[in-house]
Amino acid sequence: MRLRRGGELRRRRRRPSLRTRTALTFGLGAALVSIALALITYTLTDHQLLSQRQTSSLHQAYVDARLFKDELNSPAANIEDVLSSLASATDVQVLVNRNNLWFSTSVLIGSSNLPTSLVSAVRSGQPADQRIYLQGVPSFAVGIPIPGVNAYYFEIYSLAELRSTLQTLAIVLAAAAFATTVGGTLLGLWASRRLVRPLSHTAQVAGEIAGGHLDERLPPDSDLGPLVDSFNDMVTRLQERIERDARFAADFSHEMRSPLTTVGASVELVDAYRDALPEDGQTALDLLKMEIDRFSDMVQDLLEISRVEAGAESVELERVSIGELVERTASGHASQVAVRIQPPAKETTVLGDKRRLQRILVNLLDNAQVHAGGSSLVWVDRRDGYVEIAVEDHGPGIDAADAERVFERFYRGKAAGRRSSVAGSGLGLALVAEHARAHHGSVRVEPAPGGGARFVVSLPAVEP
Amino acid sequence: MAPLILFIEDDERIRTVLRMSLQHDGFDVEEAGSGEDGLAAFERRSADVVLVDLRLPGIDGFEVTRILRKTSNVPVIVVTAHGDSHDVVAGLEAGADDYVVKPVVAKVLAARIRALLRRASFTGEIATVVRVGDLEIHREANLVTRDGEEIPLTRTEFKVLCALAEHPGWVLSRTQLLDQVWEYDYFGDDRLVDTHIGRLRAKVERDPSKPELILTVRGAGYKLAT
Repeated sequence: MRLRRGGELRRRRRRPSLRTRTALTFGLGAALVSIALALITYTLTDHQLLSQRQTSSLHQAYVDARLFKDELNSPAANIEDVLSSLASATDVQVLVNRNNLWFSTSVLIGSSNLPTSLVSAVRSGQPADQRIYLQGVPSFAVGIPIPGVNAYYFEIYSLAELRSTLQTLAIVLAAAAFATTVGGTLLGLWASRRLVRPLSHTAQVAGEIAGGHLDERLPPDSDLGPLVDSFNDMVTRLQERIERDARFAADFSHEMRSPLTTVGASVELVDAYRDALPEDGQTALDLLKMEIDRFSDMVQDLLEISRVEAGAESVELERVSIGELVERTASGHASQVAVRIQPPAKETTVLGDKRRLQRILVNLLDNAQVHAGGSSLVWVDRRDGYVEIAVEDHGPGIDAADAERVFERFYRGKAAGRRSSVAGSGLGLALVAEHARAHHGSVRVEPAPGGGARFVVSLPAVEP
Repeated sequence: MAPLILFIEDDERIRTVLRMSLQHDGFDVEEAGSGEDGLAAFERRSADVVLVDLRLPGIDGFEVTRILRKTSNVPVIVVTAHGDSHDVVAGLEAGADDYVVKPVVAKVLAARIRALLRRASFTGEIATVVRVGDLEIHREANLVTRDGEEIPLTRTEFKVLCALAEHPGWVLSRTQLLDQVWEYDYFGDDRLVDTHIGRLRAKVERDPSKPELILTVRGAGYKLAT
């Protein structure tokens, strides 16, 4: 299965792009059409010119033959004189057989130059014609019997001029076919670019939607009409689905708030009378309190994360000094952690929502509290246009394999199945990631010097 | 005599358990199941603090707060299930002094109520009468006058004004104001400060859109003009 998928992948990679294929198809089509047209043109012209030439030659030959007969019939006729008077045109040779003697207008040409089939046909009393090669030159031979004077009259017409005309035509046609092919390929390239342009826009929008911008839509396009419609329709449905899911989580956690208030306050009240309970009852009460706290955290985190996801969370952007915010928040946190702020507070300004930024730090501190027995150091620094907030601990650290997954919801990694008495909501780090993303920042986890984990949030810095 | 809390909440279970918790913490509690009942109860016997859920059938918590504000400066705490939404700001703008978010922790609620009650007994280093522009702040009498005429302020608004008047011309950050007025040591909500400043300006400024007394210092906080 995997092998086949690999093969498919390779085959897909080797396949040229749509643009190349379109251009090649256009080029090939142009080549086929232009070659076919050239061949037809050539053949038709060749045929037409030849038959014209043959007809006119035949006609000329009959005229010449009658002239020859008339001349011979006149008194004091000398066959050689008659012949030389006839052979005025250079591209015509005349041969005559009279009383089995051959006469020719040219010393270079004799009866051997005539095909025997033609000669024997004429000798049997039938006029005949045939295409021949006379000393390598394509020619047309005509034979006419002249019974009255016991002679056979032959004319050989040279087709050399016709050949060279046709050759020129062939060259012109080949050049035209080549130009058409090149033109077709270029047209194909241009057309495919035009064709692909709306598609590449579609791909771009699809990418943005996949990146979470669910409000993106394709503009109406006359070329891609139905595709655009169904694409937008699909995105709308997807968006509705995602929002419904997020709303469900938000509604659920919201609905949980009232019963949680009742349960929480009831347990608090019972706790006020804990001295009246036996020892087992007190232990059970402590367990109950702990679980209610955790459940309460979970409900609030779930509400927050689903509201952020549904975009229902109001974002109030303002310039916030991370240095000041971290100092203030960390000093208020139960863990009483050491804080080191490197750059001047002004240089740690980001554009953000103060409460959300506070949540980022508090969640990281809570996480260290739950999983590593508290944070050892919090520092703020500036690097490459980003403000970095780091929370370090001396806990067991996080495996490289878990480094990405710790930001997933309810991911517990090594702690899976080992529910400690101080388990968190399972959403704290996911919320950190969501909030960091909403501020165009990111969060990562790496090994801290001296063991333990270091969570680093980086947010784009702005001018104070 | 124990302070009286009027608790307006339609969820009977929450009402019962929080009533018991507050009573355990030493408050007298009067319950009301709707906005209408709550307003009627307040008219019969005015409470020291009103605790009102924002989402009520009939007259909702926003409206209850607005109606109370027309006739009384009683401290109001709104209870909301939407800690991050516009409900908080809308509740504060309606005139509430503070808010708590469900699930309500009874100890936190009691602490907020006590902080609110303490606002009546302010003990800052401040002269009995302070003049700011044409305003006269009579600290002991808990009132502010302009040209001898009283401007009705809630206790929280009054305390914000006093905190600023303590150091005229000095900038107080939102954190400092939260700490001094609301007694939030940590995680105070800036929206509390901003909405109260807005309400205060609406009452003491001649043109609230062009404040001349309570000035905003961008990126730092607020100060009182000298």
